[in-house]
Amino acid sequence: MIRSYEKERLLGLYRRMVLIREFEERVRFLFLEGTMPGTIHQCQGQEATAVGVCAALRDDDFIVSTFRGHGHALAKGLSPQSMLDELFGASTGCCRGKGGSMHMGDMSRGMIPAIAIVAGGIPLAAGMALAFKMRQSGEIAVAFFGDGAVAEGAFHEAVNMAAIWNLPALFVCENNLYGASTHISKVMKNTKISDRAASYGFRGETVDGNDVLAVLEATERAAAECRRGEGPVLLELLTYRRVGHSRRDPCHYQPKSEREAWFSRDPIERFAEYLVQGGYATAETLKQIRSEIDGELTTCIEAAKAAPQPTAEQLLEDVFA
Amino acid sequence: MPDMAATGGPIKLIRWLVAPGDTVRRGQVVAEIETDKAVTEVESTADGKIDRLLLEEGESAEAGTPIAAMEDNS
Repeated sequence: MIRSYEKERLLGLYRRMVLIREFEERVRFLFLEGTMPGTIHQCQGQEATAVGVCAALRDDDFIVSTFRGHGHALAKGLSPQSMLDELFGASTGCCRGKGGSMHMGDMSRGMIPAIAIVAGGIPLAAGMALAFKMRQSGEIAVAFFGDGAVAEGAFHEAVNMAAIWNLPALFVCENNLYGASTHISKVMKNTKISDRAASYGFRGETVDGNDVLAVLEATERAAAECRRGEGPVLLELLTYRRVGHSRRDPCHYQPKSEREAWFSRDPIERFAEYLVQGGYATAETLKQIRSEIDGELTTCIEAAKAAPQPTAEQLLEDVFA
Repeated sequence: MPDMAATGGPIKLIRWLVAPGDTVRRGQVVAEIETDKAVTEVESTADGKIDRLLLEEGESAEAGTPIAAMEDNS
């Protein structure tokens, strides 16, 4: 962390990470209470990957997300209100109540509705990057995916195609050590996922995914390469999820010592410490930010509960292309 | 009772980890339950004091059924 940053920019990163954490915590309890239907895949602990990557992008760049997409959506600029409405199935939601947790997205914010199939979004990002290249628009496409996706054929096909055509595609692997409940050491011999880029002939880099500034800087470098026609790039962001794979997963496969080691490197707490030690904020300022977000989410949740549901007449609207 | 079973159907309460009079925090594990798939934990969804337990160990309940009552003065 040798670069100097504007204080407002740093506080913006902090605010966005806290928003994601609190959003996920609120949603978790809404599910436990039985207020919210469906299932959820949450990203507590992985806030720095979403925020660090998206803070390095332009508004017109596109991201492609996964079933664990709430953090990506909030980081790319979707409003918590449109997402909570979506989670409650309301017609005011970002996908008019027809997408739900696993398909968050908003084309006007540069996020196609998330793809819930493991690795399913990676070829879409390659295709979008091809379109950007052909149009010479200067935009880039970013695919978020987990360590489990790397074993899918879709990963190979997409990154190979992006490589041979030098596409402006940024492949972001959030390596949180587990594909659902399976540790990566059980499914790959070389667990350094960024190494794979070399076999396709492009650059890969492993980054501390719990350090938001390290992620931001790595993404800025990679995005610049993509815009210069030197893409694609594979970023492997090392991180850890603090909660189960999905709503009903008690997460017992994560050893206690491993959890404690990662929790001591929590991305939000680490960044808070950096902000205070660097004189960018006082503990009081950070508390104020958390309190504002808390209030904002309370308002959004009440509004989402009362938001209108789609009608039977709207059943087939927006469903077919 | 949170809806922790993928298959629906009643969920069995294995063990209480709190008793009436205990103060609990939101997120604190208060009981263990058994679904078709696994034994898992139930977290309190609110801060407060446990007034009474509404389900005995070994009993089952549908998702959504109250399993404990909390005092309202938290």
